Amino acid sequence: MKEKRYLGMEKKLARQYFILIVPGFLIFTVGLIIPLFLSFRYSLTDWDGMSANMKFIGLKNYIDLFHDKEFIESWWFTVKFTIGNTIIQNICALLFAVALDSGIKAQKFYRAAFFIPCLISAVIVGFVWLKMYSNVLPAINQWLGTNFNFMLFGNAKTVLGGLLIANNWQWIGYWMLIYLAGLQSVPAELYEAARVDGAGPVKRFFHVTIPMLAPAITICVVGITTGSLKVYDLLISSTKGGPGRASTSIIYQTYTTAINGRQYGYGSAMTVTLVLMLLLVALIQVKGLKNKEVQA
Amino acid sequence: MRRKVVSAMLLLSMMAGLFAGCGSSTSESTGGNTGTAKEEGTEASDSSDDAGDEVTLTVLAGQSTTDAGIEDMIDEALAEKYPEVTLEWECVDWGNDFQPKMQQYMQSGLPDIMIGKAQDVATYAPLGVLGTIDDTYLDKGLDAARENVTIDGSTYGLVYNALYQGVYYNKTMFKENGWEIPKTMDDLQKIIDDCNAKGITPFASHMVDTWSIGNVTMQFMMNDVFNHTPDWGDQFRDGKVSFSEDKNMQTAYQYNKLIFDNTFPETFSTEQTDCDAKMVLGEAAMKVSGSWSIQNFLDIDENFDFGIFPFPNQTGDSKLIFEPNITVMTSAATKHQDAIDKVLDVLTSDTELATEIYDYTKTASMLKDVSPTFENPSQEDIDKYAASGDIVDVTLGNNQLVWGGFQEENAKYIASWLQGEISFEDALKASDDRVGASKAN
Repeated sequence: MKEKRYLGMEKKLARQYFILIVPGFLIFTVGLIIPLFLSFRYSLTDWDGMSANMKFIGLKNYIDLFHDKEFIESWWFTVKFTIGNTIIQNICALLFAVALDSGIKAQKFYRAAFFIPCLISAVIVGFVWLKMYSNVLPAINQWLGTNFNFMLFGNAKTVLGGLLIANNWQWIGYWMLIYLAGLQSVPAELYEAARVDGAGPVKRFFHVTIPMLAPAITICVVGITTGSLKVYDLLISSTKGGPGRASTSIIYQTYTTAINGRQYGYGSAMTVTLVLMLLLVALIQVKGLKNKEVQA
Repeated sequence: MRRKVVSAMLLLSMMAGLFAGCGSSTSESTGGNTGTAKEEGTEASDSSDDAGDEVTLTVLAGQSTTDAGIEDMIDEALAEKYPEVTLEWECVDWGNDFQPKMQQYMQSGLPDIMIGKAQDVATYAPLGVLGTIDDTYLDKGLDAARENVTIDGSTYGLVYNALYQGVYYNKTMFKENGWEIPKTMDDLQKIIDDCNAKGITPFASHMVDTWSIGNVTMQFMMNDVFNHTPDWGDQFRDGKVSFSEDKNMQTAYQYNKLIFDNTFPETFSTEQTDCDAKMVLGEAAMKVSGSWSIQNFLDIDENFDFGIFPFPNQTGDSKLIFEPNITVMTSAATKHQDAIDKVLDVLTSDTELATEIYDYTKTASMLKDVSPTFENPSQEDIDKYAASGDIVDVTLGNNQLVWGGFQEENAKYIASWLQGEISFEDALKASDDRVGASKAN
């Protein structure tokens, strides 16, 4: 009798759970899963995105990708941009968070100042830094009588550095807040115990702070990596993928191929590789970093 | 068990989505393209319902930098003559967003009116999605406006204004230094050398905008390639000529280097507005550009005195480039042909509106008996080239080697070559490799 009532209750709960997940499930399916499958389907065709003709060509698009120099170069730029961002943003965000957590004066002001750039659209950020490099900083150069090269977007060799500065300026404050929240949740007793055991500030940082921040590190590393792999809007208003093709990211390449180049099928194949890469990177990072997480 | 049910549902919905998507994509595409002719008859009968009724027409306007704002002028004029017709505008940048938007609308149904460039007619008309424009309106335009928007005897675009492209030059600077308008490359080189000797930057340029590289390259190609081989693009696709082997095409590409070597060192960080400002402020003597710069020139200094000449070619017979710009196209599947005709009527018969638009955009008229009233210092030069027949329509080149996916991409390789990232041969080969994308259809 008791068991029957328990099973009935379980069924009722299951129904409630099901009703609760239906809206999200539908939105997720219609907005993400179906387009993904459609994209895969288009990637097996030679569709130009406009005409009625859509010939099935099997895996030809995928085979062509391996010989496509532009595709490989755009991946190479994206990988360099991602690695640069992941390292710089994590280190800087963590250091700023530690600094703010150490009880410095005007903590709230700094926190707001660092956070504000992430509220701005990446398109605006790109435009701001284009003006910064081409007008503002050279004017300061002239005013100071110095001769620094600030035209970072104007040269294929320096454009990556310029974009990293712009992107990190925008996002460090955001990830810093996540680290700050993580730092504030580390129990003070752990530091106390480490201090009693004779650990100095550096040892406390590496043996208490870092292990306790592992969940935040997982979030930040995965977020920065996947975000950087998808960079597009920053490029649109700043370098437009140039000079030449020097800052063409994989998304930018996909868009210009599929839409401007009228090779929708081929562009869809690029999209599929990007999705697979995003999944793979996120999976490796989450698995790898989860193992390092500890509980207080 | 529950997990299995949810998994099965997820899988089923994915499969359903896949099949639904596959099915619809074909039918929609077919409907969007081939269905138009069939639907035309139905819509023609529907269109009579428009008379007197309030109608809202959708408009996709692919605008050049000069055009933003003309939509308000058109709205105002339309409201005065045909208050029952209103326009719902979607204004986008022609270079970046017009084609993506069209691609999107090809699947879901085109807007009633599309405003693009003359070269768009060659892209979309063969797909059967554009309606023909009635002679009533076309007859109000210049005959020259019809040529490149007519396919198999039917005209699909109403060309409203035109841009001129060539080398804009600072008249005062030319006078002060005793420079004559160059006809040959030697003449131009002498001016460049004199500029350099006097510490004047010969050319203003803004290569951060890759489109500007693509644009000037087509100007060079028009005078060195298409003027002598009008079907070069078709020959290219037939494998008879190539960028790597054609000396004239190579020369056209090489002119970019001439500009790059004689322009601001920060050209790859300079935008058009800054560049135009430098030109007006006398920091450079010339700028290879188009009428879109006039708006900036006169906004910065209304007294700036400038002229225009065609960029010289190898044979000394280069022509000023003429580009039909604002081109009105209509949907073949529209249900509001009567209302569209009212819009075309306003555009072609309201001379006050036309003058207002030409004066605002600082462009040339393509309507009979309508002339802009703004003071265009380069008009004298344009008239001179027009009188001697030294003007050529760039649509010839643009129709054969399309902008999106070809010229635009080639420009990126030219930029890489100028920056020393790739060799000249690689830049040419990249253009050859892109042959499949050189034509829209």
